[in-house]
Amino acid sequence: MPLPGSGLAKGLAVTLRTMTRKSVTARYPDTQPELPPRSRGVIALFEENCTVCMLCARECPDWCIYIDSHKETSPPAAPGGRERSRNVLDRFAIDFALCMYCGICIEVCPFDALFWSPEFEYAETDILDLTHERDKLRDWMWTVPAPPPLDPAAEEPKEIAAARKAAEKQAAQAQAQAEAEKQARPGDAEGGTGEGEA
Amino acid sequence: MNDTLHVVLRLVAVLVAFLVLPLLVGQTEHKVMAHMQGRLGPMYAGGFHGWAQLVADGVKFAQKEDVVPADADRRIFQLAPAVALLPYLLVLIVIPVGPHGFVGEAVDAGLFFVLAVMGVGVLGSLMAGWASANKFSLLGGLRTAAQLMAYELPMLLAAASVAMAAGTLSLPGIVESYHWWWTLWQLMGGLVFFTAGLAELQRPPFDMPVADSEIIFGAYTEYTGLRFALFLLAEYAGIVVLCGLTTVLFLGGWHGPWAGSVGWLWTLLKTAVLAFIVIWLRVSYPRLREDQLMKFAWTVLIPISLVQIALTGVVKVVTS
Amino acid sequence: MIHSATHHPGFLSPTGVEITFLLVGLATLGAAVVTVTTRQLVHAALWLVVALGGIAVEYLLLTAEFIAWVQVLIYVGSVVVLLLFGLMLTKAPIGHSPDADSENRWVALAVALAAAGTLVWVVADAFRSTWIDVHHGTGQSATKVTGSSLFRFWVLPFEALSVLLLAALVGAIVLSRRRADVLPPAPDGSTAPHGKDR
Repeated sequence: MPLPGSGLAKGLAVTLRTMTRKSVTARYPDTQPELPPRSRGVIALFEENCTVCMLCARECPDWCIYIDSHKETSPPAAPGGRERSRNVLDRFAIDFALCMYCGICIEVCPFDALFWSPEFEYAETDILDLTHERDKLRDWMWTVPAPPPLDPAAEEPKEIAAARKAAEKQAAQAQAQAEAEKQARPGDAEGGTGEGEA
Repeated sequence: MNDTLHVVLRLVAVLVAFLVLPLLVGQTEHKVMAHMQGRLGPMYAGGFHGWAQLVADGVKFAQKEDVVPADADRRIFQLAPAVALLPYLLVLIVIPVGPHGFVGEAVDAGLFFVLAVMGVGVLGSLMAGWASANKFSLLGGLRTAAQLMAYELPMLLAAASVAMAAGTLSLPGIVESYHWWWTLWQLMGGLVFFTAGLAELQRPPFDMPVADSEIIFGAYTEYTGLRFALFLLAEYAGIVVLCGLTTVLFLGGWHGPWAGSVGWLWTLLKTAVLAFIVIWLRVSYPRLREDQLMKFAWTVLIPISLVQIALTGVVKVVTS
Repeated sequence: MIHSATHHPGFLSPTGVEITFLLVGLATLGAAVVTVTTRQLVHAALWLVVALGGIAVEYLLLTAEFIAWVQVLIYVGSVVVLLLFGLMLTKAPIGHSPDADSENRWVALAVALAAAGTLVWVVADAFRSTWIDVHHGTGQSATKVTGSSLFRFWVLPFEALSVLLLAALVGAIVLSRRRADVLPPAPDGSTAPHGKDR
């Protein structure tokens, strides 16, 4: 049986303790927020990587990505060869009034042309201005931060794993070749075995 | 002529206190409440930690259109804020701040004057509640009336206990006859007085008449602009008056070290501490339900105040 | 205050206090008349506040400070609040109440005039031209005088009044309980038929 009124005293103590502590208010316009890595602020386009495959526009749940392109043919590289054709990007726009920041376009892009940028201050007074055209999307690219370092025990990224495997294979081959050469010419003791990872 | 000038000067001083102290309490409430909730509170108005927030609020209120609902009883609707505010100004006149006549105007039956006039202030809420032609306002007015009638009695009884102890109804007289052990002797009475006063001001946790989550803002629902600001000012002036009265009646007013020279500072300090407690209670406790409110007054506060009166009488008889 | 006891003032040389007394009395009378003639119920209650306040001011002018504040405390602070509370529980409309006038206004007028006449006659006959010098001394003693005369000379009427009030209280309880016998008792044991509301 607790003392009568101890609950009341406890309530007072909680508020008093909170008062003596630092407040948690974020003073946003005065101080910029410290955003966590991978913050979803705006989507940036690295248009040099874009092949106009249309995967992002098709996967977008909101249909907020507009892509126009045309086909260009280039003469064959060697005489008598086939004419090459490639898609050229005319328009790439994202309507951020529709976008719901799901990030599916970024996930599906097979050529790493789309990135998340933490930049979030692009409110407009006219809703039409929220449709960011190609140039603006390209400019956001400058605000994309370097990818954060992996966690200590994280799995190796697939690309690096593949590259490392290839490099190891090459190194093993080089070593095997060196061994073979050494056996063929035993006089030459020290060989070039330092074929490390590329 | 000199006397008239003297009185006018005193009244002007009271008026200035009446306009400044409630704002101070309001600003303190902004900041203390914010920090108790882990926030910062106003930070922009006036530059330094938002010190001019209430001035800005006042300017905003003054700019608003003065709307009177079409079906309202115009005259009473417009008169209500003044009726709510003026009594507190009158009460502030008679609260003694320091020794040697440091008071707006000493009234001989000061205790009765104060309690009587404070009761009149609630008429403002009732008028507002009825004249707004709004069912939420009417509910607020009803709750105000019920609450006033329930809490007026324990407040009076607690005040009567002090008057018995001091043998006078004059507020400076009560402070003059104060001894330090009175605070312990009248402890129950003091708690009852303070609590009942909170309820009469409709401050949380006794703010059922303005419970914003169920009846919007009670009697003040239809008010905007300056009239609404006057109601708010009345609430904060009420806090000042209640804390000042509790200081004078139960905490010994200007008594303290060097009371002769800085007595007024002691009164202000004690009042400020009590005002802080008022804010603290608001932040800490949830609102009492209407039936709990009534039950608390009739079954807790009134018996305690009666016991206090009996105790006062017994001690008075034994010591004299 | 100006006239001393040795100098007997005449009735035809009024002081400022006397003029004020008369004016406040007229205002009080006017407020009282409006109270009973207005067609708006709540306005009647509010005019009653003015009338009762006027009487309090009259007490003040007669230096009966204590009585004045008791008048404000009890009548303005409690009785009128109770009245307004009751009015709010009814369907008192904003504007004219159609049924505010009962048919006995002439009887009421006759009774009022008779009562007023009796009172004026009794008071005038009792004091005639006696000049009572109201002491504008320290009100402290005035309160003391009130207290001692109330509990020394008038203690019997005082006690009789308190017994009357007690009887009224008991009567109110009995009246409010009678309905509980007719109605079945509420399941939670409370006798109030509207127990849920409060």
